[in-house]
Amino acid sequence: MTTSHKDVGILYLVTSIYFLVVAGVLALLFRFQLVDPSLNFLNAQKFNQAVSMHGLMMILFVISPLGFALANYVVPLQIGARDLAFPRLNALSYWLYLFGGILAIISFFQDSAIDAGWTMYAPLTAKSFSPYVGVDTGGLGVALLVASVTVSTVNFIVTIFRSRAQGLTIDKLPMFTFTILLTVLMMLYAFPPLLAAIIILLSDRMLGTVYFTSPEGGSLLWDHMFWFFGHPEVYIVLFPALGAVAEVIQASTRRYLYGRTAVMIAMAIVAVLSFLVWGHHMFNTGISQDIRKVFTITTIAISIPFDAIILSYIYSLVKAKIRINTPMLFALGTIGVFIIGGITGVFLGSNVLSYVLRGTYFVVAHFHYTMVGGGLLGLIAGLYYWYPKMTGRMFDERLGRIHFVVSMIGYNLLYFPLFIAWETPRRVPIYQPDLIFWHQLATAGGIVFGLSFLIMFWNFLWSLKNGPPAGNNPWGAFTLEWATESPPPPNNFPGIPTFSGGKLAFISTNGAAHGHHETHLSPYPFAVSLGAFLALAGITVHPLLLLVGIAVLGVSAVGWGRERFIAHEDPIGERWPFEDVDRVKLGWWTFIASEIALFGIVISAYLYVRTASASWPAPGALFDVWHGAVNTFILLTSSLTVVLALASAKADRKGMTTAFLAATVALGLLFLFNKYDEWAKLFKHGVTFGSSLPASTFFLTTGIHGAHVTAGVIALLYLVHRSAKGAYGKDNWEPIEYFGYYWHFVDIVWVFLFPLFYLV
Amino acid sequence: MVSTSAEAVYGLFNLFLTLGTLVGVVVGAYMLYNILRYKAKEDKPAEGEVSLGELPPPQGFPVKLLVSIFLSAAIVLSLIVGTFSILEYLESPPRDALEVRVIAFQWGWEFVYPNGATVLGEGRIPANKPVKFIVTSRDVFHKFGVLELGIGIDAIPGKINYYWTEVRVPGTYEVRCFELCGPGHGVMVGKLIVMEPSEFDKWYKAQGGG
Repeated sequence: MTTSHKDVGILYLVTSIYFLVVAGVLALLFRFQLVDPSLNFLNAQKFNQAVSMHGLMMILFVISPLGFALANYVVPLQIGARDLAFPRLNALSYWLYLFGGILAIISFFQDSAIDAGWTMYAPLTAKSFSPYVGVDTGGLGVALLVASVTVSTVNFIVTIFRSRAQGLTIDKLPMFTFTILLTVLMMLYAFPPLLAAIIILLSDRMLGTVYFTSPEGGSLLWDHMFWFFGHPEVYIVLFPALGAVAEVIQASTRRYLYGRTAVMIAMAIVAVLSFLVWGHHMFNTGISQDIRKVFTITTIAISIPFDAIILSYIYSLVKAKIRINTPMLFALGTIGVFIIGGITGVFLGSNVLSYVLRGTYFVVAHFHYTMVGGGLLGLIAGLYYWYPKMTGRMFDERLGRIHFVVSMIGYNLLYFPLFIAWETPRRVPIYQPDLIFWHQLATAGGIVFGLSFLIMFWNFLWSLKNGPPAGNNPWGAFTLEWATESPPPPNNFPGIPTFSGGKLAFISTNGAAHGHHETHLSPYPFAVSLGAFLALAGITVHPLLLLVGIAVLGVSAVGWGRERFIAHEDPIGERWPFEDVDRVKLGWWTFIASEIALFGIVISAYLYVRTASASWPAPGALFDVWHGAVNTFILLTSSLTVVLALASAKADRKGMTTAFLAATVALGLLFLFNKYDEWAKLFKHGVTFGSSLPASTFFLTTGIHGAHVTAGVIALLYLVHRSAKGAYGKDNWEPIEYFGYYWHFVDIVWVFLFPLFYLV
Repeated sequence: MVSTSAEAVYGLFNLFLTLGTLVGVVVGAYMLYNILRYKAKEDKPAEGEVSLGELPPPQGFPVKLLVSIFLSAAIVLSLIVGTFSILEYLESPPRDALEVRVIAFQWGWEFVYPNGATVLGEGRIPANKPVKFIVTSRDVFHKFGVLELGIGIDAIPGKINYYWTEVRVPGTYEVRCFELCGPGHGVMVGKLIVMEPSEFDKWYKAQGGG
């Protein structure tokens, strides 16, 4: 199966549009219910599932992946790369995403999909209030999606830092690639909190831990974790669209953006600030006034860089020659509606207005103006813009314009009345009768907006065969993707692109030397994802499926490791600031950065409930310090043996290498055995997952760590096996070094866990 | 306005709405004007346009942008100041306020009075007297909202939140839940009946309690 970024991009595109239809139909279903509150078209339980899954899917499975469909296709082309840094991981991202979405959809056919809103507030999502097994399945689907996002985050960060054409410094990056870079940097730190929150939630639901159900703990734990992810996520969804709109404006006016550098700086400021505004989602929860003041300032202040971005888009039109075409119409429409979304967002940043506005349709109207208006419509502008590049054909311009007009009418008819009917509480099938008229208008708008997509689908399908050939550069644009054929050949460019002379040139590589050895196919990304999918589905569907899934996962992971897969990296390129860090090493570093965020959040959750609790057992009262101390000693020793294994490999002493690796395996197993012994004794004394918050936090936090040790031991077994065959020596010691990063990281985590759980 | 809280919150809302509309209309009109003014009549290359493969040239200082940033910063600052100026007032209940505990549950409202009187679904308070709501939940998150009176505060299990108001116009106001709390969320509607003080006193005494 394909690993080419262009094919994977198309797969992402088709899949995200499929999920768009699913989530859009869910929206229409509950809009029909809202035509008249006295209807019982959807009962309350079904209504809650429809709104929850609509939101969850649109945000996680539609808009963001649609942005990454374009990113997959366009980013390597824009920076002059021949593919993403890790093509197989890219395919893996896609398949994990698809299967995550399928898991989420399966939950509808079980007893109930997630029904507590896309925000999944605990304790409403606790087993006692939402006892459905489908909620577990949906949570697992989200977890699979997070895995997909993490993998593609690593991939895009490494690609954009390592695979740029000579002369393409970060400040000269095309706008779309730049927004994707910021997006993945935000993803790197925003998604681990979501994963941590989902793990804890599922652990509460399945293992019986009491994080979210114990009255002692912090009632606001879920809120903090979720919104620490949730607010950056808003910009993660939006940024690719902002980038696409910038490209369309530049191509239409054939000029660089007005104040381009200032825009890039403003975007970077937004990306950083996005992590400091989550508290505005919690203004009514009773957090202290000082904290709310800080969040009011950060939230309202984030509108300033946004002003800079949007105004510079508008200033770019001044004294330009604006070529009006479908992509440009959508770009301008996006800006127009986003202005409304942005201004109403400032209202919600005020912790006074929040008292009345939060939980009402004002919020619903606002974020649809940003997410659909800014996000989805902006990506549609991008879709029309890059369609000729992807297919080699022009779409029908007249149909495109009709689509624009119809969708703008439908869009505003759908969302503007929601501002007027703002007093409606969110997520209710039954509302105040005096607001019926506005909701009926909105439903009518929803139908028009939904149908308008059919015009685009038809246009794209029809033009695939019948559209006139597009040529290389139909828009007269100036970024690199337009300097090659439409669609681009397998290796993207006729030579190695370079800007070293100040302008684009291709270094000829005379055929053979260039790119005939690369692999573009591998079955393993699909197989690994399928295994993960079956295993996770097995948890809620049937244990047999779980076993099959693990088997598939194991076999295909080994197959992956053994496959000879050649991914090309051009010998020259712009790599600041990672000139001296090779591709794989940078990938590992990035992955470990996301792991740091994951453990950081899990540990923070522990500290949060501990400080919120009135009492906590004294050190040594519940957990045996000796078990912890012995394990600390074992794990630190195992770090040493990995270092020695690496040194032996570098010295080409293959026997020693194998011996030290095997010693590490032994130490890892010893650690796990000691842990098993500790847990077994605790269970015997009645200390289990659910017996108290101290027990819950202990088991889950050290359990997640233990799972990391287990994964490390499994990887080690593979390394030992390879090493015994003489695979590692002075020419090939990197795998041991990379493994070492992971292993040392897991050790360091323990160095934090040991004192936190046993000594203080 | 019907209540102190409504006056404070909706007064600020109107400030936001006025400035927001002004900014939106000005920016929108400016954009539209430029689109119409500079719309290309035919697709011919013009002077100063970038050609394929050119890197971004060094740019002049974006003066216009800087001025706009200062303008929007000034507007934003006024909004923050506006918010903070009424925050203290909004969150400092007078000492003599009547304390009414509001306990949200799946799916209804319970009002508990200082004398121990407990009523379900229909809370009663006196007009023209400050009332402090002490809000919590028995099960999941809810939000106690009486929009007409400018009241809204989360009801959270294991947590106690406050809100106060003084209603000027006696009457019956609708209490709704504004946080998804399960299948009954949409029907979690109650009443807040604001009575003339003398009538309230009569009612309150009749409740007895403890």
